[in-house]
Amino acid sequence: MSLFSWRNSALPTFSRGGVHPDEHKELTEHLPIEDFIPTNVYLPVSQSLGASAEPLVAKAAKVKRGDVIAKVPGGVSLHAPVSGIVKGVATGPHASLVYDTVITIQVKPSEDDPQFPEQFGWQTLPVAQMLERIRDAGVVGLGGAAFPTYRKLSLPKDAKVDTLVINGSECEPYLTCDYRLMLEESEKVVLGSWLIARIIGVANCVIGVEDNKQPAAEKLRQTIAELGLDKMEPPVKMTVVVTQTRYPQGSEKQLVQSLTGRMVPKGGLPLAVGVVVQNVATAIACLDAIRNGKPVMERVVTVSGRGILSPKNLRVPIGTSVEDIIAHCGGYAGDVVKILLGGPMMGRTIADLDVSVTKGTSGLLFLTAAETSITHYQPCISCGECVDACPMGLEPNRVSQYMEVGRPLETLQFGVKECFECGCCSYSCPSHRPLVQFMQVAKAAYRRQERKTT
Amino acid sequence: MSEAEVTSPPTLHLSSGPHIASGRTTGQIMWMVNLSLLPALLWAWAVFGWPVLAVTASSILGCITAEYLACRIAKTESTVPDGSAFCSGLLLAFTLPPAIPIWMPFIGGVLAIVFTKAVFGGLGYNIFNVALVGRAMMMATFPVEMTTRWLTPALGNVDAVSSATVLAQIKLGGQEALNKILAAVPDGGHLWLDFFLGMRAGSVGEVSVLMIMLGAAFLFWKGIIKLYIPLSILVGVALMAPFSPAPTIYMLSGGIWLGAFFMATDYVTSPITPKGQIIFGLGIGLLTGIIRNWGGYPEGICYAIMLMNILTPALNDWFRPKRLTAGGAPS
Repeated sequence: MSLFSWRNSALPTFSRGGVHPDEHKELTEHLPIEDFIPTNVYLPVSQSLGASAEPLVAKAAKVKRGDVIAKVPGGVSLHAPVSGIVKGVATGPHASLVYDTVITIQVKPSEDDPQFPEQFGWQTLPVAQMLERIRDAGVVGLGGAAFPTYRKLSLPKDAKVDTLVINGSECEPYLTCDYRLMLEESEKVVLGSWLIARIIGVANCVIGVEDNKQPAAEKLRQTIAELGLDKMEPPVKMTVVVTQTRYPQGSEKQLVQSLTGRMVPKGGLPLAVGVVVQNVATAIACLDAIRNGKPVMERVVTVSGRGILSPKNLRVPIGTSVEDIIAHCGGYAGDVVKILLGGPMMGRTIADLDVSVTKGTSGLLFLTAAETSITHYQPCISCGECVDACPMGLEPNRVSQYMEVGRPLETLQFGVKECFECGCCSYSCPSHRPLVQFMQVAKAAYRRQERKTT
Repeated sequence: MSEAEVTSPPTLHLSSGPHIASGRTTGQIMWMVNLSLLPALLWAWAVFGWPVLAVTASSILGCITAEYLACRIAKTESTVPDGSAFCSGLLLAFTLPPAIPIWMPFIGGVLAIVFTKAVFGGLGYNIFNVALVGRAMMMATFPVEMTTRWLTPALGNVDAVSSATVLAQIKLGGQEALNKILAAVPDGGHLWLDFFLGMRAGSVGEVSVLMIMLGAAFLFWKGIIKLYIPLSILVGVALMAPFSPAPTIYMLSGGIWLGAFFMATDYVTSPITPKGQIIFGLGIGLLTGIIRNWGGYPEGICYAIMLMNILTPALNDWFRPKRLTAGGAPS
């Protein structure tokens, strides 16, 4: 790593591992966000991690934009992203759960649809009320993890937090939705960040942006200067830090290390070193929730890849189907062999065009055979590329060798449980070994064992 | 479900991530290693003539024949195209005297692939460096031919069969032999320069330090080899140089450079972490010195590498990558 990493060496980055895949962002980075509203939306009730939600509407019900249509008991809600008529509540496909209860709404906008104007006195709401609004608006981590935001921001009493990190890294290739948001809605990003800083009670906020998104960093700096946040009450010192373009810069532990120099302990959260991390799109959602009482009903999705005719940054209602997006983007433009939700490093493949956009869907990629890797894998040649690439210092090679001989429960020593499946190992492997998959299967074996013993 | 007329592509692949790859493949790496050995081979051809190419072809043929048959017997896809057996054959040829009878390298190649690679499970599963086991088995099987069939280097005009390499002469005759050799160097010539450029009797691919360096530089530039192993071997060998009657010649001869840059860096049989690689390299260097100065062979890097190959799994266990955790600075 060290001999040839002279490029951008002055910029901060994380201490070990990582890769730099071809970015492919040129397909969409110049394209302003476009709105698209389909004729039907298909809403799986499970939109975030944790307990599954219960539908609150039945067939033929009339819903208005922003109505709660499903709810996790004591947790985040799912709102109707559009006004219209419920055409059905039935089992349907889900991007990661395979199947889920899906509410289908036929879109019928009307004159009296709620517009969610700015509410008076939002800046001075008590923290508890702000958190309530974030929860009631169904805000989850929009970077992809979809962890309920109110839970992440409800800090334990003894927590000592001094820094808010706003994640504008968008380190996955192809994806440009966060980049466009930072450019086009920089004011909302900054105000949202200021609100989150207020909620967790810190006076220091760092926005991390990768070097390949300089215009976004510049725009944010300008906006911060214009808004004069350090003069607001309470004052927050907000800085934009440009990091090296290096995957997985946007992973929490790596980002915290790059921006603050602090190392999150093994198995711990950034909270342990006094940091809370939120994604830029999530910051905007928090602002919408607190300032306008507006729930999460739509999101920006990067539609890209060489397999789609017109790549776009699309703002779509939650529940928009893959099929409708393909039709809206002009259809296929080549031999598509993989369709992904998310980025090419950590995204999930789908085989059913009825799958729809959920709150955590950042990208919809159509990859042709030339851009993706579909091949058989070969034996490990112990080249060590995966070990060099692993940002956590794990040994994917050893895990894979143990998995091949059917010994998943001996892989803890090589760090399986610290693996967050960024994919740097498999990406680097010249033998195309599915190292992430080996890790996943090993972790599943440990989970099974834990279930048996408890 | 929707009124839009969109059908699914004919074949959609499902897999866990990542869905892109760096583009480097095992076959690519192997063929680049083969390419990097070309300068040394061409040089050997220039100074020793056609026998070089015959020996090399014979050895490669032996290796890929054995590899092909092994895959057939194991009923697996042939691994000949990945270039690893070709590479073993090429490297084995590089360790042989250029005038060795033409059928011997073939036998050596077959033995190397069968007993080092095939019986262990093929590519990735071997414990020892394939080419070096081939050489060691040939030393045991054909001891006379392996130590006497040298050619005197001559650009364009090769006929003389030389009796022994300089290292072997020094091993047998000590200081006296060295003086004789030095006296035979024509006025204005330098023995060390002959060794560096490759104007000396020696094995096919190891004679020219310069050509080996060229190939190694290419591999380093392509990111295929790292320098921890070769440099620590050279340091290890240098530490033992003072015990030799001719330290400069000692450093420039006997396949140290070929071994350090091309044999010891074999991924499968060398450790993974920098610390492990440094210990591995130093071990090879010191063992080479011990074998040469006090052992029974004029050279020694072949056995030194094989001895350290045995330690590779242990070195991988002892020197692990540093985990990214609080308190510890990652390596």
